[in-house]
Amino acid sequence: MSERLAHILLDSFWKILLPGLKMTIPLTAISFALALVIAVAAVLVQFARVKYLTGIVRFYIWIMRGTPLLVQLYVVFYGLPNLGVMIDPFPAAVLVFALNEGAYSAETMRAALESVPGGQIEAGYCLGMSYMQIMRRIVLPQAFRTAFPPLSNSLIAMTKDTSLAANITVTEMFMATQRIVARTYEPLALYIEVALIYLLFSTLLTKLQRFGEKRLGRFYAEAGR
Amino acid sequence: MAMLEVDGLQKSFGAARVLGGISLSVEKGDVVAVLGPSGSGKTTLLRCLNFLEQADAGTLTFDGERFDLAAMHRKDIIRLRKKTGFVFQNYNLFRNKTALQNVTEGLIAVRGMKKADAEATGLALLAKVGLADKARQYPHQLSGGQQQRVAIARALAANPQIIYFDEPTSALDPELTGEVLAVIKQLAEEGMTMIVVTHELPFAKSVSDKTLFLDGGVIVEAAASRDFFANPRQERTKAFLRTLNKDSI
Repeated sequence: MSERLAHILLDSFWKILLPGLKMTIPLTAISFALALVIAVAAVLVQFARVKYLTGIVRFYIWIMRGTPLLVQLYVVFYGLPNLGVMIDPFPAAVLVFALNEGAYSAETMRAALESVPGGQIEAGYCLGMSYMQIMRRIVLPQAFRTAFPPLSNSLIAMTKDTSLAANITVTEMFMATQRIVARTYEPLALYIEVALIYLLFSTLLTKLQRFGEKRLGRFYAEAGR
Repeated sequence: MAMLEVDGLQKSFGAARVLGGISLSVEKGDVVAVLGPSGSGKTTLLRCLNFLEQADAGTLTFDGERFDLAAMHRKDIIRLRKKTGFVFQNYNLFRNKTALQNVTEGLIAVRGMKKADAEATGLALLAKVGLADKARQYPHQLSGGQQQRVAIARALAANPQIIYFDEPTSALDPELTGEVLAVIKQLAEEGMTMIVVTHELPFAKSVSDKTLFLDGGVIVEAAASRDFFANPRQERTKAFLRTLNKDSI
């Protein structure tokens, strides 16, 4: 490796990592938190079978899961101004990521709730417990444990997907890298470098997931019984 | 006066009539065995008695209080459930809780008992069903028979006036049914009032005081167990007993 390349890589490391810390991580964290709120609301609406709202929720999930994330970003950032709706890059990205992930997480949570055997709910009733008590003490802890791995998966996927926000001028890690490439003409080395930084983030999240799973679930059968 | 009296209990699922007017009475300390072919409505009968299903008609007199089964108030349902225990065919233990926590859950959540007191009660009950050493195990670490005994301890925790057993050994491997039946037999000897839906003829014969034979949603025959098995009157009862006896050979 030439000295020049080594210097570029070292010099760019902080220039890439910094927008990673200042943009990629906040963008992911805020979007994912909002996505969870949206997902919980969507699940509650479906579980309570609220008239009309259930239809709207199913429609929302259908649209969000059925169209590409990149296209959604373009519609919101480049398309909506036609209707006079101008949104800054960062909030536009948050909006799209949250709505998109909300749809997926809603399905994850619904499946997790439905996976708790109904007999346990009846057993709770037989003890004289109320619906809310059964939910809080019996069903939700189990559903949360079941939903935790797929939700962690989604969080890791979203961390990487935030690179798409470069397309709507959010200066996150990938856009920072593109700018350095434009100056230095070293695309291979620099794109591998940014890939490794994404890998670092994902690895940390994977470790966090393992730790969380251990903390959450002693009751979980390892054999998946 | 009977501790529990049911009169004219009816239940349909859509067009299918499952229970066509069931009347029965249980004295304090009675062990009532409910027999019948599958689909005869045995399980639905128990579920209606504990309001897991809502009956279409009928009255329930429990401990001197009379209720309309088709129009129960939520508060009465909870009040009655606190006085009864229910043991399911599939145990239905809370899978996120240990054996001990399964037993103490109702005491803590429903009765507001202090955790330490609840645990003392829970440990005593687990010891009673022979599982003191399994208190900290989760359901998936226990065999079916052990899970069902935990479920019985859970039902006992509320100090119920009556316990309903819905085919408590039907989901168990044959070699595990004995340990569960032994616990139920012990409860019978201690004077616990119980209604037991079962296919275990020897158990019904030796443990129960009364036996009901259900078929097609009606009680075909009801008698003191000794008479029921020695001297069945109805043809359908005889045929049913013959089939089961043949099976057990």
